[in-house]
Amino acid sequence: MNWAETIVQALKDWDTSLIAYVPDISIHQVTGLIDVDPFFHLVSCTREEEAIGVAVGAYATGRNSAVFMQSSGFGNSINALASLCIPARIPIPMFINLRGGPGEFNIAQVAMGRSTRPILDQLGLVHFTLDDEYKMDKIVGGALKLCHANRQPVAVCLTQLLHGGKLA
Amino acid sequence: MLRFEATQLVLRHAGNRPIVSNLGPTTDELWHAGHRDRNFYTYGNMGLCSSIALGMAISTDQQVISLDGDGSLLMNLGTIATIGREQPRNLIVIVWDNEQWGQTGHQPSHTAMGTDLEQVARSCGITNTETVRDLEALESALLTALEKPGPWFIVAKIEEAEYLPVAPIEPEMTLYRFRNSFKD
Repeated sequence: MNWAETIVQALKDWDTSLIAYVPDISIHQVTGLIDVDPFFHLVSCTREEEAIGVAVGAYATGRNSAVFMQSSGFGNSINALASLCIPARIPIPMFINLRGGPGEFNIAQVAMGRSTRPILDQLGLVHFTLDDEYKMDKIVGGALKLCHANRQPVAVCLTQLLHGGKLA
Repeated sequence: MLRFEATQLVLRHAGNRPIVSNLGPTTDELWHAGHRDRNFYTYGNMGLCSSIALGMAISTDQQVISLDGDGSLLMNLGTIATIGREQPRNLIVIVWDNEQWGQTGHQPSHTAMGTDLEQVARSCGITNTETVRDLEALESALLTALEKPGPWFIVAKIEEAEYLPVAPIEPEMTLYRFRNSFKD
């Protein structure tokens, strides 16, 4: 399995069938698989905080859910995490395309990309960063397990080194 | 029409259907109208009330009612487009439209200046829409929405009134009670 298939399998292993996302060229390698797999319901959202809201609604009825976004859009989701998921203890796994690393070509992506993990730290949310596929199945599966055990969002940051996306 | 009496009306017809309430007085008044496990009160996350209800509607066969507000929905108009795209037949969005940001000092909202949320919904592909201005019309629209497939989008023009006491509820317990109510 490649990295995208590994994520899809982990979501299935944790019976996570509602995926809310904002399109991104790199995570499309995953959401493209999800879109054609009848196990999943993929909800295309207009904004990242909206995706968190949709995912929370699914979880509230007993259906596990996850969100996909880019690090720039993570900035749009902070209040949804801080004022909804954290106080209500709602375990939403977040898969974030982490921009701003080696090979980044767009100055506008750097500040939010570099501050995504410090913001997660400030919120007290656990995060993992994947630069390659080494032990990836254990890390992604373990992140989902931790997410539900702790009943808090967990972020899995996917770097350009992993997915090779949008490098100039 | 006062929001509290309108909320009581919705609750009278809601049966065991899940209700999501917008932050602030809408949540407080839902609690005072009738606390129940199927009330999903929100306390923050301004703008996400109907997004949460959409996620619920996609994930259950039961009809889901969102009690949103004009100021909040203006913060997340995109979710109306997502509802239009998803077309959940079991979602009923009711917008308490007081044409102001009541809690922040009664500043006029965009709906006081010409924004028509019903027309926004229609332009997003939601064809079952109403704007109601009294309890009788609200009851009629709600009963139709409970009968016929949605999504439904009902704008209820309300007057601002004295706020009821803040409801004594905790977010974690809200989720726990609500989620448990969906377990067999």
